[in-house]
Amino acid sequence: MTTTVPVTITINGEPRDLAVAPHRTLLDVLRNEAGLTGTKKGCDVGDCGACTVLLDDVPVNSCLVLAVEAAGRNVTTIEGIAPAPDRLHLLQENFMALGASQCGFCTPGIIVMAKALLDQNPDPTEEEIRFGLAGNICRCTGYTKIIEAIQVTARQMAAAGGETA
Amino acid sequence: MTSVIGKSVKRTDTLGKVTGGAVYAGDVVLPGLLHGKTKRSTVAHARIKAIDTTKALALPGVKAILTHGDVPRVLHYGSPHPRSASVTQDQYILDTKVRYFGEGVAAVAATSEEIAELACELIEVEYEPLPAVFTVEDALKPGAPAIHDVGPGGNLVLDPFVVTRGDVEKGFAEADLIVEGEYGMGRPTPAYMEPNVCVCQWDPLGKLTIWTSTQSPFMVRGTLAEVLGLPLNKVRVLVDHMGGGFGAKQDLFQHEFLCALLAQRTRRPVRMEFTRKETFLGGRTRHPGTVWIRQGFKRDGTITAREAKVVFNSGAYGSHGPGVTAVGTAALTSLYRCENVRLEGRCVYTNTPIAGAFRGYGVVQTYYALDILMDEAAETLGMDPAALKLKNAVREGDVAPSNHPLTGHGLEDCIRRGMDETGWASRSSKPKAGRLRRGWGMGCEMHGSSAYPGIKEQGNAVVRMNEDGSVTLLTGTTGLGTGAHTALAQITAEELGVTFEDVAVVHGDTDVVPWDIGAFASHTTFMAGRACQMAAAQVKAKVLARAADRLEVSAADLEIRDSVITVKGVPGMSLTVREAIAAEKGIPAPQLLGEGSYHPTKSYSFGAHFVEVEVDTETGQVSVLQVVPVHEIGKVIHPIAAAGQIEGGIQQGIGHTLSEDFVVDHRDGRPLNASFVDYKMPLAMDMPPIRTIILETAPSDGGPFGAKGVGEDPIIAIGPAIANAIHDAIGVRFRHYPITPEQILAALEEKAGAQAA
Repeated sequence: MTTTVPVTITINGEPRDLAVAPHRTLLDVLRNEAGLTGTKKGCDVGDCGACTVLLDDVPVNSCLVLAVEAAGRNVTTIEGIAPAPDRLHLLQENFMALGASQCGFCTPGIIVMAKALLDQNPDPTEEEIRFGLAGNICRCTGYTKIIEAIQVTARQMAAAGGETA
Repeated sequence: MTSVIGKSVKRTDTLGKVTGGAVYAGDVVLPGLLHGKTKRSTVAHARIKAIDTTKALALPGVKAILTHGDVPRVLHYGSPHPRSASVTQDQYILDTKVRYFGEGVAAVAATSEEIAELACELIEVEYEPLPAVFTVEDALKPGAPAIHDVGPGGNLVLDPFVVTRGDVEKGFAEADLIVEGEYGMGRPTPAYMEPNVCVCQWDPLGKLTIWTSTQSPFMVRGTLAEVLGLPLNKVRVLVDHMGGGFGAKQDLFQHEFLCALLAQRTRRPVRMEFTRKETFLGGRTRHPGTVWIRQGFKRDGTITAREAKVVFNSGAYGSHGPGVTAVGTAALTSLYRCENVRLEGRCVYTNTPIAGAFRGYGVVQTYYALDILMDEAAETLGMDPAALKLKNAVREGDVAPSNHPLTGHGLEDCIRRGMDETGWASRSSKPKAGRLRRGWGMGCEMHGSSAYPGIKEQGNAVVRMNEDGSVTLLTGTTGLGTGAHTALAQITAEELGVTFEDVAVVHGDTDVVPWDIGAFASHTTFMAGRACQMAAAQVKAKVLARAADRLEVSAADLEIRDSVITVKGVPGMSLTVREAIAAEKGIPAPQLLGEGSYHPTKSYSFGAHFVEVEVDTETGQVSVLQVVPVHEIGKVIHPIAAAGQIEGGIQQGIGHTLSEDFVVDHRDGRPLNASFVDYKMPLAMDMPPIRTIILETAPSDGGPFGAKGVGEDPIIAIGPAIANAIHDAIGVRFRHYPITPEQILAALEEKAGAQAA
């Protein structure tokens, strides 16, 4: 049997005590140990962005981070994006309303990436949004409605004084 | 006036997708779950002399290994449409031969993915190499190695598919000008985001349950049952959400059989999930090929004759080869009117990855050739290309590829609208100079909703009204991500007169929902939608009969809107649906069931794409600056979802025209770019603004409320539009895809050399 290492990772605000083998990725542990299957595995080698999560508020491909590297740190997944259990993040609302999600497999990674982008740059240009999504592959939408949903969210957040929901 | 149709209601499938709660096949977790892996061939054509699993079986954690001796040997269809002419029967679960690099030769179940992978490496396969062929030319040579024992021989997947109309000799004799060309196509792959995955579990009574990412669950059920020797009620296929398919997930893949057999052998649930590399190796691609066309024209642009030879590379198995060849070839009867046509389509086995169904289904290739040839003809005739296409555009009454008369003037409407929107007539015709050169191009397409006549299809629906007036729609259609289930709920609500929110959709369980042929051929809204409409109409009649009794009026005088029943012409006399059907005096509410079964023929949707590109003459890079797609798709059910289909199709079409090509080494058949880094797709930075225009000018009698399909159309016209725009920008005619920067630079150099000489 492979030796496991005890780690505590704060996932979506909740400290989780996990025993993980040193070679296992954060993606693998999120999906198979923490039971958070919203984060998707599209390539497992850092090419597609479907597994994007926030590690201490910085977007990362969770397939390229070892779970042990996340010990003692904060991880935010798509399941932790909404501001409250009964409220969605504006990005989530707009992705639904504007048709930015089709098959949905890239959607969690793109919403997490978009959140990181807007948290850092609340008023991005279209070019900045496209650059921000350069590592996220979507094969269904042509990105048209994804960009629109992010632009609309930025405008609504500005109108609400930075509130996200 | 409609209440629900034509409105972009909130899609029912997306809440789970934006919150992470949507369950895809790979998200299913079961107690005791094992992990399966496929051992794949490292040679392109060989007989398997021996497989030694001793070392692999000795690895702790390995629970079972299957090789060709351990699995049923049943010749089966690559894609399990019900005995149609579209697909071939040439596959075994595991054979004693391998026919392409990456074909499965064994499978392992183990307690972890890592152990299963390691075990695969420890399996020793002794191959007796066979001569291999990687190109159609080599496969068709006399004496070429035979890849299959089945089929017509000579490495043909099917006998040549021939279509003849009118008198081609006479047509060419009447021509003032004859234009011909040969066009070549690379190998794009669908590259859906969700790698193929399934989970299998058997119950103690010998019933198999499989969660799988498929477009056609009932086809999976049928073929698994047949090959494994089970009755249909012992195979249950579940698919809730799936991460794209684009046609390719119609096939039944080796791992789906192997996962079932590993679960049976170990008596534990097993998951098999492709790596991204495996989705390239063991997935399905578009058919590479060549299309030769010759057309005769009168001086005024009238087409007098058309002759074409289509040759597709099927790869190692037939899969959808027959269907793709027939549909792609027959498409050349149409788009531009021509009475004298002779067409021949061939499909050829080679020792390369399997080509299968992919959005556009053969028509992408043949219309790419036809539409570029039209631009070449326009240049020679001194006509505007859009004007030449408009003059020849098919219209009302013309015979479609399916041999039906066409309805309406959809293609003409699309071309005219696009010319207006882009100011086509006033675009610059000056010779371009400088490093960055811009050009405009346009291309046209039409595509059928439903696979008729290749497949005689059937759409089914069951609609049930519950005793509170809420409605449950049961459908066997699959949700690929198009929003189809939302469209079906809209259609049901509209027909029944209830609100959209009153309709809940049950799908994804072959034990529960009515039989369905699968989600493909741009037919779900068109065909299953019509079945929903029929079923809803039956329920509505029952509700109205009951309301008529209660109100003591004739049912014919009643109407339902937003779940309220009113008497026509009598304001104030009304009843809610709930009141009409409620239990009374201790007698339960009536059972209100409707069942729709619809056998469609075909309707055609149309499109014209207008594109502006910029060519960097120093790097050879082509940037698509803007796309104006105009589509005529009959009555639109959900405008945002329809536009989403168009924009996504354009993305894939830009890809196959400019960069996407899954390349096989012609020395040993080894794929060279089986990853997202090496297989280049257009992403956020590459995608241009798209100004989508949807017309509803030629509704179909065959679809619900006049709706037609839209899924496949948008990937077709974008290709030739880009190639034509590149010609406009730099004066070089490319007759293939993908058109790469290296080729642009080489062509510019050659052109400069020719001018200097």
